[in-house]
Amino acid sequence: MAETKQEEKEEQKEGETVRIYIMGREYKVPAGLTIMKAMEYAGYRFIRGCGCRGGFCGACATVYRKKGDYKLRMDLACQKVVEDGMYLVQLPFTPAEKAIYNLSELQPTTNVLLEYYPEIAKCVSCNTCTKACPQDLEVMDFVQAAIRGDIEQVAKLSFDCIMCGLCAMRCPAEIVPYNVALLARRLYGRNMLPRAKHVEERIKEIEEGKFDKEIERFVKMSLEELKEEYRKREIEE
Amino acid sequence: MEKIVRGYPESMRKSIELVEKTRDERLKHVMAESYPLIPLDQRIDILRKYHPDYRMEMKRPVKVGPNKGDLMPNEVADLLEAHPLVSPKDVDLSKIDYDTDILIIGSGGTGLAAALWAYYSGAKPEDILIATKLRLGDANSKMSQFGIQAADRPEDTPMTHYLDIMGAGGFVNDREMVKTMVMEAPMIIKWHEELGVMYDREPDGSMVEKIGGALCRKRLHFCKDYTGLEIMRNLMDEVQNLKIPILEFSPAVELVTDDKGQVAGAVLWNMETSEYHVVRAKSTVITTGGFGRLHIQGFATTNHYGATCDGVVLAYRVGAKLRDMDSVQYHPTGAAYPEAIVGLLCTEKLRGMGAQPVNKNGELFVNPLEPRDVEAAAIIRECYERNNGIITPTGMRGVWLDTPMIEIINGKGAIENNFPAMFRQFGRQGIDMRVDPILVFPTLHYQNGGVIINIKTETMVPGLFAAGEVTGGLHGRNRLAGNSWMELQVFGRRAGIYAAERAKKATLGKLTLDHVVKYERMLKEAGIKTDRKAPMILPDYRGEKVIAHTLRIF
Amino acid sequence: MMRIPYYPGCAVQTTARNYAVSGIAVAKKLGIELVELPKWNCCGVFPSLATDDLMRHLAPIRNLIHVQEMNENGIVENEYRVVTFCSMCYHTLKEANMFLKADEERLEKINTFLEREKEYAGGIKEGYKGGVEVLDFLEVLRDIVGYEKIRENVKKPLKGLKVAPYYGCLVLRPREIGIDDPESPTVMEKILEALGAEVVNNPNKSQCCGSYHTVDRKEIVAKLTYDNLIYPIRNGAEVITTCCPLCTFNLDFRQKEARKIHKDLKEIPIMYYTQLMAIAFGLEREYYGVDLGLHYVDPKPLLKAKNLY
Repeated sequence: MAETKQEEKEEQKEGETVRIYIMGREYKVPAGLTIMKAMEYAGYRFIRGCGCRGGFCGACATVYRKKGDYKLRMDLACQKVVEDGMYLVQLPFTPAEKAIYNLSELQPTTNVLLEYYPEIAKCVSCNTCTKACPQDLEVMDFVQAAIRGDIEQVAKLSFDCIMCGLCAMRCPAEIVPYNVALLARRLYGRNMLPRAKHVEERIKEIEEGKFDKEIERFVKMSLEELKEEYRKREIEE
Repeated sequence: MEKIVRGYPESMRKSIELVEKTRDERLKHVMAESYPLIPLDQRIDILRKYHPDYRMEMKRPVKVGPNKGDLMPNEVADLLEAHPLVSPKDVDLSKIDYDTDILIIGSGGTGLAAALWAYYSGAKPEDILIATKLRLGDANSKMSQFGIQAADRPEDTPMTHYLDIMGAGGFVNDREMVKTMVMEAPMIIKWHEELGVMYDREPDGSMVEKIGGALCRKRLHFCKDYTGLEIMRNLMDEVQNLKIPILEFSPAVELVTDDKGQVAGAVLWNMETSEYHVVRAKSTVITTGGFGRLHIQGFATTNHYGATCDGVVLAYRVGAKLRDMDSVQYHPTGAAYPEAIVGLLCTEKLRGMGAQPVNKNGELFVNPLEPRDVEAAAIIRECYERNNGIITPTGMRGVWLDTPMIEIINGKGAIENNFPAMFRQFGRQGIDMRVDPILVFPTLHYQNGGVIINIKTETMVPGLFAAGEVTGGLHGRNRLAGNSWMELQVFGRRAGIYAAERAKKATLGKLTLDHVVKYERMLKEAGIKTDRKAPMILPDYRGEKVIAHTLRIF
Repeated sequence: MMRIPYYPGCAVQTTARNYAVSGIAVAKKLGIELVELPKWNCCGVFPSLATDDLMRHLAPIRNLIHVQEMNENGIVENEYRVVTFCSMCYHTLKEANMFLKADEERLEKINTFLEREKEYAGGIKEGYKGGVEVLDFLEVLRDIVGYEKIRENVKKPLKGLKVAPYYGCLVLRPREIGIDDPESPTVMEKILEALGAEVVNNPNKSQCCGSYHTVDRKEIVAKLTYDNLIYPIRNGAEVITTCCPLCTFNLDFRQKEARKIHKDLKEIPIMYYTQLMAIAFGLEREYYGVDLGLHYVDPKPLLKAKNLY
């Protein structure tokens, strides 16, 4: 942050700082920083609103506007680079009901998602959820697929969801799309994807002790012998 | 300010043109034959010269505790030679806030597996307590991209898996732990199928598996490049469905012991209210993960916000011994440009699917699939000794990872289908990985060593279990891609089962923080004069000017 | 072969699959390929009756925009019509269409709201221009295909089969939206006659089935189901044809509740008119839609008795 008017002029001339507003207060931060690093530069130390810092966990959901623009925008603080005039706040938590279920008792029927999340029928197809999603997912489309009971489509469209909560906070029908999608993906993965037979077979072999003698031999091997075995490995193409 | 063309400044574009020129020639030699592998005995030479772990001036022998005299990175020694955060007079141990059978500290892949398997082996949900520093599931586990290893194909055997692990680890791994993992790995995959994890599969159901650095078989199972996130979503949902009690934003600041020398729980601290909670637990399981946020030797890191080595400090203080703490894994390919994403992981799968590391002249300089330590050393050599790296406008050095090769070798759409996370990450910064290479440099990634455990995940201190990245021995001096996730599951499971088993018969004595007093005495006797306190809990990234001007009023 | 955009709707994809399976096959036989909208969403089911509630119209209008897109992307050529089977979908889409066409300001408001979609994943690129026509399949059969052509395609006349048609409300009322006279519609009767069936009079053919009361006021639907069925049964009907999945559910599945109050209600199968068309056209059995487990009262015994299965 500039200490004198002279420094301020210099920084602005260089074009190396941007002006952002953190919860209404103006800060000048170096250009090229992510919102997260800019907030830390300004003196904020995160407890909430910071997780993996890599775009995978959804902890840093941020809502912002640009000065002079009425449009509401949403993104992840750890990935989005600051822009001049950004007027921002973070979402520390999303209150949302997650249905409690025993997955082994459920089948991927047409109505199972409606049963656990009946509010999805209230969807008015306004697409507000899609506009909120920082992962660019087609949220409305997977909610619609959920209404139709097309579990596979929900699983495929929602796969990259990091459950940041922005869609749920914006939905006028008060749906929580990411919880619906989670149930759909689990049903799909457990009941609709064919199981790997070779995994079953290998587990049986291990249980029957097929590898016991060999693996013991390797455990007991001398260092030289082990190194030799290692050198002899054939690399699969 | 330089003009930016498709995400890169013009100065870097010139180098990209050279990469494009040499691509056709390099495409002729794919994977194993692309560049000769460094022979086993010569690996140590390149490591000694260029791997950060071998810079002895960055390490020192620790002066206190069970590993007194052992070399540790300075940043770790700093934490071990530091004052505890609480002393007996701060905490009223007579008022117990949570009385439970099993306390699990940490909620990454290991902690969640421990909670679930404690339940499956008979513990009631209300007798388990998960305490986590941030939110449930906030851990390095979620960020893992490439995959999880299990020898479940007919072309593969547990023995080959064993060999791969031993070789990469420098042959000093704990053999029993390695054997346990390779034999239990396939069963974990099946468990995941039952949970609903959407692994990439062939139409007939068989798992799609890929090869990685220093592996001799295609053994990496994955869910596109969101493997960690996908498995975690399932584990978290299961834990929540079972209503296992969870305390978020409540890191453990000190373990609690009893007058029988056992670990009997922990003192948790609510980061938002500053309240402390005394937890008495018959079994305490530490699953706190890694130490990337120590920024060892000033490296950027792939780790999440809370990876501050807390568990090692807590375990060390009650007398648990560590091993290989001086062995730090630097992932060879962390993002190096632009500034916004420096340090973040660029998965090994990129190399597994054909991308080659290339210097500023477009030349391939190392086999893409060396083990991680060798690969990292080679990149550092290329950038610093040979000066063939690319220098970004902010002074960061790196080499190209020629990602367009992936599209050419595997067909159009390969990147979007296999690397949606990376494609998105770079796309957000204006870079299209399908068309341009990405800039990479080694980044601080993994704690190879840690708390010593046996295959029941017991530490040397009764009542204290540990599993996951916080422990050492399994990976020796260097971990393979995909073995961390399998470690989390195999040993997380065992931690849950054995912690539950012990809880059935254990009896606890009077709670005490005597070990804290003992530790302070040790620090004094070793002549350590410092303001440092540990565990660190969270790193501090506030601007320097701000820190210099802060007042703690309330 | 004509290619007309086709809007399935949620019910016809799932619990009323027999309607679509038979309907699409019948359309094909009559020279119409029903081209499903590449992307569609739930129609929203009930249009809002409040004139200032525009949000409710987003769902149906989105589907009409997709029809526009089909034309612009070359999936269909100069076909700004969309056909649907379900009466509720038909009603909702048509009503929303009329509501927005009636007032330019309303249309502009919705299009302005939708303008930002261009920036987002899978969003629509252009607003609704107002040029799409919504058709119920019954209209298509009457006005585009014609009863004569239907007659020509009959291979197995439904001889001796006594059928009573049932329309329900939404395909007939209000007048601006209805496809036929709301008191005395004749379109289904004429189709059934063309198929060679014996049409039985159903005085309550356009009485409401009870609609969504079936969820939490089953007794209302039970009473209506009895009323709607008892007269055609007394007039000799052996099967009832319907054109709406919700009516079908109420007439079929709620016979159980109806019979509890009125012991004299005999079991009678309920079938979509398209299913009878598929049978009469002599199509393969898979297109009859009777083997999908979606009927409460199984129509197969009746069909077998009439040598139609």
